Amino acid sequence: MPAMIEYIQKDSFFHRLHPITKILWTFGVLIISFLFSTPLPIFIILLSNILIAVASGIFKQVFPAIKALFLFSLLLIVFQIFFVTEGNTLFYAIPFTNIGRVTDVGLNLSLVMSFRMVATVSTIPILMMTTPMTDMVVVLVEKLKIPFKFAFMFITALRFIPTLLGEIEQIMQAQMSRGYNSDTRNPFKKIIIIIPLAIPLLVSSIKKTEKMAISMEARGFASGPRSYYKKIMMKKEDYASLFVLISVIFITAIVF
Amino acid sequence: MISIKGLSFIYNDTKEPALNNINIEISEGEFVGIAGPTGAGKSTLTLCLNGVIPHFLHGDFYGEVKVDGKDTVDNGCAKIAYSVGSVFQDPEAQIVSTRVEDEIAFGLENLNIPRIEIGERIKESLEMTGISELRDYSTSQLSGGQKQRVAIASAIALRPKILVLDEPTSELDPKGSLDIFNTLQRLNQEYNITIVVVEQKIQLLSEYCSRLVIMDKGNIILDGETRTVLAEQETLQKIGVSAPPVTRLAYMLKKEGLYQGGFPINVEEAYLMVSKVLSEKSR
Amino acid sequence: MIRINNLCYRYRNGNSVLKNLNINIKSGEFAAIIGQNGAGKTTLLKNLNGLLKPTEGQVLICGLDTSKTKTSVLAKKIGFLFQNPDHQIFCSTVFDEIAFGLKNTGISPNEIESMVYNAAKKVGLESYLKNDPFSLSKGQRQRVALASVLAMETDILVLDEPTTGQDYNEGLEIMEIVKELNAQGKTIVMVTHDMELVAKYAKRVIILMKGTVIEDGTTEEVLSKEESLAQSNLKPPQAYLLAKKFQKQGFFRNTYTVEDMFEEIISYLRGEQNACND
Repeated sequence: MPAMIEYIQKDSFFHRLHPITKILWTFGVLIISFLFSTPLPIFIILLSNILIAVASGIFKQVFPAIKALFLFSLLLIVFQIFFVTEGNTLFYAIPFTNIGRVTDVGLNLSLVMSFRMVATVSTIPILMMTTPMTDMVVVLVEKLKIPFKFAFMFITALRFIPTLLGEIEQIMQAQMSRGYNSDTRNPFKKIIIIIPLAIPLLVSSIKKTEKMAISMEARGFASGPRSYYKKIMMKKEDYASLFVLISVIFITAIVF
Repeated sequence: MISIKGLSFIYNDTKEPALNNINIEISEGEFVGIAGPTGAGKSTLTLCLNGVIPHFLHGDFYGEVKVDGKDTVDNGCAKIAYSVGSVFQDPEAQIVSTRVEDEIAFGLENLNIPRIEIGERIKESLEMTGISELRDYSTSQLSGGQKQRVAIASAIALRPKILVLDEPTSELDPKGSLDIFNTLQRLNQEYNITIVVVEQKIQLLSEYCSRLVIMDKGNIILDGETRTVLAEQETLQKIGVSAPPVTRLAYMLKKEGLYQGGFPINVEEAYLMVSKVLSEKSR
Repeated sequence: MIRINNLCYRYRNGNSVLKNLNINIKSGEFAAIIGQNGAGKTTLLKNLNGLLKPTEGQVLICGLDTSKTKTSVLAKKIGFLFQNPDHQIFCSTVFDEIAFGLKNTGISPNEIESMVYNAAKKVGLESYLKNDPFSLSKGQRQRVALASVLAMETDILVLDEPTTGQDYNEGLEIMEIVKELNAQGKTIVMVTHDMELVAKYAKRVIILMKGTVIEDGTTEEVLSKEESLAQSNLKPPQAYLLAKKFQKQGFFRNTYTVEDMFEEIISYLRGEQNACND
């Protein structure tokens, strides 16, 4: 889970693109996925996402996310497929009975929905893994005019997710060594069973926050106007990529 | 460089003063170690040096603290950051950025240093701390010792004349601890940066610091040349501060009247001492 | 007590952390595991109580195979004191905190009360049972964590860096309690960086480097292996280095602390003992 958001350092074409280009790409994928209403083209878009991940050298890290999305989409298919009644019957889920009728329209719709979901959501981990957090902050503050404090809060929260997950693991191991057992099916017990994990985590997080704040304060945080070291410029590659993206959208809209 | 007069501080919601009438002067270029049991007020003292007390942490503040000519009450943390760099105990709770380069730029950006200068300063700070090769690394890839050195580089990017550290090697192994102290020694000797470091590892302090300050319950109990302070074994033992084993041996021998010389702090000096003592038998 | 046979541990990505370890720790021993960061010390400890299961090989704790036994069950045989007590403390009274482990193992409330009291007494906190653990000092919280481990009355006690982050007195308090427990027959396994601590308390020392054991013997034997120590960026304690300088002259053959050296100097000068020239 945390690895889905951490920046992976590689030097690929996609890595070098401006964050705005990549953000526009995620929107572009969203638009194109909705312009098509048959499964195959959307699946091709999904494949293009995977190709981008492979070309950027981050496929291994993105794969768990894509796998999870696929599994979730299977659930969606299962739920949707039986509720559509129009169209010609293709087969029944339970053979030789009338239960679980699957129609061609139903199959089409479910596949379209699930592929759309995977294609559009998978762009996010790819974006996060190829863009350093600080670049995102710079973009959010300079181009989208979000006040620095908010952008910083958001980025720092993300930066701490791996740290907190590490803490949870340590706390879990410490409590398990005292005979703590979290196997329980009872939903009410499940809530109580979290307390020996939640409280140390809460205390630890609050302490870390205070230490962080002191460290930032001692380096002049939020004391006045701020400069930015990174200068991220749009390059030829960015304009070329955007051109390709917009062309694809237009062609799709007109032709299909 | 550092001048503290009559400093007392009581945190909000506490009755006992964390600091009780502290008076101390530190000159430029000194390498001072501060030791003492838990609750002595060592951390509180470091927070008074960088302005976090009284500007960020509140309480009853008495007395005067001047660093590099600036009064810490009249100047905010940002202004003081130009004179005092700070490094704390927990590497995880200091690093803000995901890349080393960005971490060092952090303080410079906060103080609105122009972009052109930032690049130069990052390069310089990395060279001064001997970690130029880590520039493009992701901060999560670093070891504890490396993280602390990045924290030091980030603190000195603003070119402060003073560097204050609160138990920087607490979470590190022996090699990591040595790396930190060697870095501090270099900053002190080559760049004349005044170092004030709080530590529990008295053996390390005794090897690197020329001056040792011992605190207990908010007061400064001992303050002077390292050897002289370590010689006060009775006081140190009463307060609960350890000493290098060879220094303890010297104290035991002195108490028996078997030895009158200076206090050793390392094995070579102790060898001379013990040789001398053993040769007394022939008399 | 603890039998480690051909233990190998690898991460999911294939990195080998522990390679073919064979260690036997007998009942009542006081063993220290030393080595630099990344050598695999913590991984080894976590394989002892089932937090990590061996990729290959076997770990037997009092005859129980850790790969087939739940950590919550192993917790009755092997107690763990972690470096940071704040990773465990969550109750509103010291009593509840110490009782936590006992409640997990299903012991009756009557028995729990006396067991908690005994454990608190061993660490000197019997008058603090009604206090809020969060209001105590760090050293006291570490003692609460120790008490909660002691309450389980396990035969083996594992300590992960017991004195790191503590001041001298706090560390000493914990170690003296541990020493007393060892004298009463408990098996102690301790991971530490502090060579002075090793010299003072441990009877057996194991050096771990890059996942393998490079030295395993008595404290006296291992502390003299300066090369192996140097490879792990460790230095023998000052007392040992000082004693070594005099060994050719016949002094300090079996001393590893300055206190022992002092005693030897005194008896020599009083003529009670000549330099041992055997």
